[in-house]
Amino acid sequence: MPNLLVCYKWTLDEQDIKINPADLSLDSSRAKGKISDFDRMALEEAAQIVEKQGGAVDALSYGTPAVKQSLKDVLSRGPNKVYYIADASAEIADGAVTAKVLAAAARKLGGYDLILVGEGSSDAFNQQTGPRLAALLGLPCVSFVAKMTLEGNTLTATRKLADCTEQVTVTTPAVVQVLSEINKPRIPSMKQVLGASKKPSGEIKLADLGLSPQELAPKAVRKSVKGFVMSRKNVIYKESNAEANVQKLVASLAAEGLR
Amino acid sequence: MSDDKFDVIVVGGGPAGCACAYTLAKQGKSVLLLERGNSAGSKNVSGGRLYTYALELVEPGMYQRAPLQRKIVREQIMMLGEGSAMTLDYVDYGFGEEVPQSYSVVRASLDEWFAAEVEAQGAMVGAGILVDGLVEKGGKIVGIRAGEEEMYADVVVAADGVNSLLGQKAGLFPDVKQHAVGIGVKETIELPDEVISQRFALKAGEGAARVALGCTEGISGGAFLYTNQGSISLGIVFNPEQAAKHGRQIQDIFQDFKTHPAILALIEGGTSVEYGAHLVPEMGFHGIPQRLHREGMLVVGDAAQFGINTGLIIRGMDLAIVSGLAAARAILASSSPAEAGPLYMRQLEELLLLPNMKVYANFHNIFAMPRVFQQYPQLANQALQFLFRVDGKVPEPMAKGLLRILKSNVSFGQLAADGWKAYRSL
Repeated sequence: MPNLLVCYKWTLDEQDIKINPADLSLDSSRAKGKISDFDRMALEEAAQIVEKQGGAVDALSYGTPAVKQSLKDVLSRGPNKVYYIADASAEIADGAVTAKVLAAAARKLGGYDLILVGEGSSDAFNQQTGPRLAALLGLPCVSFVAKMTLEGNTLTATRKLADCTEQVTVTTPAVVQVLSEINKPRIPSMKQVLGASKKPSGEIKLADLGLSPQELAPKAVRKSVKGFVMSRKNVIYKESNAEANVQKLVASLAAEGLR
Repeated sequence: MSDDKFDVIVVGGGPAGCACAYTLAKQGKSVLLLERGNSAGSKNVSGGRLYTYALELVEPGMYQRAPLQRKIVREQIMMLGEGSAMTLDYVDYGFGEEVPQSYSVVRASLDEWFAAEVEAQGAMVGAGILVDGLVEKGGKIVGIRAGEEEMYADVVVAADGVNSLLGQKAGLFPDVKQHAVGIGVKETIELPDEVISQRFALKAGEGAARVALGCTEGISGGAFLYTNQGSISLGIVFNPEQAAKHGRQIQDIFQDFKTHPAILALIEGGTSVEYGAHLVPEMGFHGIPQRLHREGMLVVGDAAQFGINTGLIIRGMDLAIVSGLAAARAILASSSPAEAGPLYMRQLEELLLLPNMKVYANFHNIFAMPRVFQQYPQLANQALQFLFRVDGKVPEPMAKGLLRILKSNVSFGQLAADGWKAYRSL
């Protein structure tokens, strides 16, 4: 029976982030955390596999100390146990650092047939962690997976590319990066929510992973994050005559170069 | 304890549910608190004032841990006219001393804090769970249903808000009646804290609460304003039946209210960060359902329609907390689920909730007088305009002028009838 690991990121809920119109800086002081949207599909996919054929799912996350808020939530979505690395370094970690930390932790835990990740995080969406994790672990990486089945140690996956789909099979262990369309994550039921508080969680200390300060230093450094505001023309046509309004609208669209 | 059986299941993580669950868990009961929103408080809309005594009843000093906004020392009543307003401003620093009488609150943070307190007492708290049914056995309520799953308890406490689904499912009362509720709309407007203090003549930490009449285009209802830390809560409560007949959209009337010069001066430059709407129990004592319990179930808070509106004082959260406490005490004192109901009713008396509501039992009659919402506020404004106006012309003799203004708004018959009705209702 398969032994699965799902990696997830605890991100800020973007709907609570406000953009300060004066300097386009972000105000995330009111923002709560959530499991990165695409990682929920990875969790759901793992839960479905285990429901069908047995096995076990663990979850793993590397984040700032805020990641501890995610434990109950993630455990209500199927995993038997969650491991987490809570360290302030996650705040500035790039995809490479994140992958190194997760790889070291996955190696330490060991014995997984499949490692599932989302197609990208819902905040930075660099799409780096999955492929890098596979490379570091020396495992095949199957990316952009829209459909998958696991039979014994053979994974059959449908990869969705720009204008075609590709069927691939790999022998596990492997890393799978799932697309958001692969499933529709369930809302955890009452018993899952309540059961989550009885499930175990384990902290892995970053210091115990044997990574050097150089390895933990991000090479991609974020200089700033700014909001993007669509500037609107705010033109309202308010003639009582609808026909005249439409004519004005068409004229102004034409003037904007729309044909 | 088995996994799906608790001593008590409390449905609803508002002040009533939290006060109940907190008290029970503190006394060692196994408690499950279920909340429909993703966190407690996320589904709530409320004006925003909590009378502190209620938290003091739950646990002395507890209010000091709560995320309260400003202690209210200014009580204001406003009557709006067209382009004018009369405001009565009563400041009483005694209201802010020792245990301050009341605080403005923001429910999203208050309820979340309260639910965390419940959890810290050892209760299990489950958020994001919609309870949509009850489990009955032999005529008794023995649990709740969420989707296809069931959980069992000796007693279920329905703290599920003004249109309580559980109370209806238990057959205790029908769905809310239009005339028994108000529909409230509210905006939270952010402003720098110092600006709020300046505009309302407050020192840091002090707050103002205001009720306003004459802003509902004659629809039975009124407005409220509370100063928070860094924001103002501004809203209007309407009678939904009249509002529907009136024809204009509630949000348009609210918008006009916001842009009334006397209101705009208070909120100008602010950013609306939140918009919400909610039902409010409006019938006071006479709105309380005949039955608030069945074997295995108690109804608390808004679900029980506990609310007091005197026109000057609007109370809901404090009564919710007291009723939650009453339910908890009843459960703790009862040796079987059957005893809890009658004990709960007795606790509502002993904790003075029902006696409080009885005092104001007929107040809703005053708000049934249509002139309270338009003619009288207008009358007050026109009278003051007459008294304050100086334009060099020879003014009417004062008595004559005032009489003319009075007559242009109401007839003597109406005035006498309203006066008598008001007197009878007090």
